[in-house]
Amino acid sequence: MILPHLRLRRRVALLAAGVLDGRERDETRAHVDSCSRCQREYDGLRAVVGAIEADPLRSAEPGIPVSVLIDRVEQRLDRAAAARPAPAVGWRVALLAAAAAAFALVLLGTELLSRRAPEPTAPTPVPVAALPADVLDRLEHNMARAHAARYLSEAQDVLLAVAATEVDCDREDDRVDVGEAPDRSRELLVRRALLVEGRPEAVASAQAVLDEVELALREVADLPSCVRRGDVERLRQDIDRRQLHMRIRLMTRELEG
Amino acid sequence: MEPSQEGAASDRDLMARLAGGDREALAPLMERHYPRLYRIALSYLRNPDDALDIVQETFVKAFQNANRWDGSVEAGPWLSRVAINQSIDRWRRIRRRQATFTPLAPGDHESALADGAPAPDARVHGRELHDRLAAALGRLPERQRAVVILRHYREMTLEEIADTLGMRLGTVKSSLHRALGRLRTGLQGVLEP
Repeated sequence: MILPHLRLRRRVALLAAGVLDGRERDETRAHVDSCSRCQREYDGLRAVVGAIEADPLRSAEPGIPVSVLIDRVEQRLDRAAAARPAPAVGWRVALLAAAAAAFALVLLGTELLSRRAPEPTAPTPVPVAALPADVLDRLEHNMARAHAARYLSEAQDVLLAVAATEVDCDREDDRVDVGEAPDRSRELLVRRALLVEGRPEAVASAQAVLDEVELALREVADLPSCVRRGDVERLRQDIDRRQLHMRIRLMTRELEG
Repeated sequence: MEPSQEGAASDRDLMARLAGGDREALAPLMERHYPRLYRIALSYLRNPDDALDIVQETFVKAFQNANRWDGSVEAGPWLSRVAINQSIDRWRRIRRRQATFTPLAPGDHESALADGAPAPDARVHGRELHDRLAAALGRLPERQRAVVILRHYREMTLEEIADTLGMRLGTVKSSLHRALGRLRTGLQGVLEP
């Protein structure tokens, strides 16, 4: 009695969920009819399914008509197209162009303020070479810090996702599926290398946190997709012990200014 | 999955046009899939504003990534996958905010949802059941929750769920089994089996 009970336990849930058919359904149904414990389990799970089926959200209607949705999506696409950078422009070129535009705006503002009767005038194009070195330096410094903040925030997402995973692998007991976390860790580690190449002095204060996050990401990057639950728990405890999440949050805020 | 509308372009035709950059193809796709995608997002997030936002993001991504659609799955499940992944990402952000700031009380996140008007006792019980169900769903791991939503809110088969979530069929079965068990525990005291 015990062996078929264990074997059929998962099937009782699937029977309650209404996803069994054919011989599987008939076998499980017959077992439930002959096993009072399974009958109680089945009744309990059917009550859960009944509660879900009574949830008004199942048939909720959207609050806006489709024509409004279409307009909104069109607007988003227009904005996205307008914001898309021109292809094949490196970040240094983009940075210089943005800096030149900002500098031109400052010049224009100064000029307009100095006039009593302002006339609409086009800004004089400012050659990139004329941009003061200290302005360019500060822009690069701020951009490096923003990149580091975004990197830390995304790394924290990966570490949280791994620690919270509870999706069991179907082939082995006591293993969980960490999904895309190893791939995302590897991508982030590539970005980490670029942070060091860029402006190391701009993120010097974050060096210790960056190093610890890198170690944690390397551990995640080395994980197979199906991991022993104990290994994930050890990783989580190690991160907790080092208070890494709190330190990431504080450092991200500092970098973002 | 694909609606058969006489004289209307098929989902596949529309996706092919989107992949070629034809924005005109987006409107008929939205008309067909809007309510279904809305209910997926709403069931997952339990907030109408978030759900509408997710539907918009889903169609924006559908247009931007249409060239990655290889035709191996129908457009409907492909859009569902985008919508559920967007919902999971949104849920993570909400959870992070809750962890950093003040947690919401159960039911706060769905205050904008209207309920029916049954008798007072039934309404109280119905409201309690609704809140407890929302809380129990909220405590499920992300993918177990997605499996429950797609099965019991959208009535997908296990194979469709596996395709939509990119999971193995066995994983879908064990996720559904575990999720229903957890929901049962979470609803103890308000259910009379």
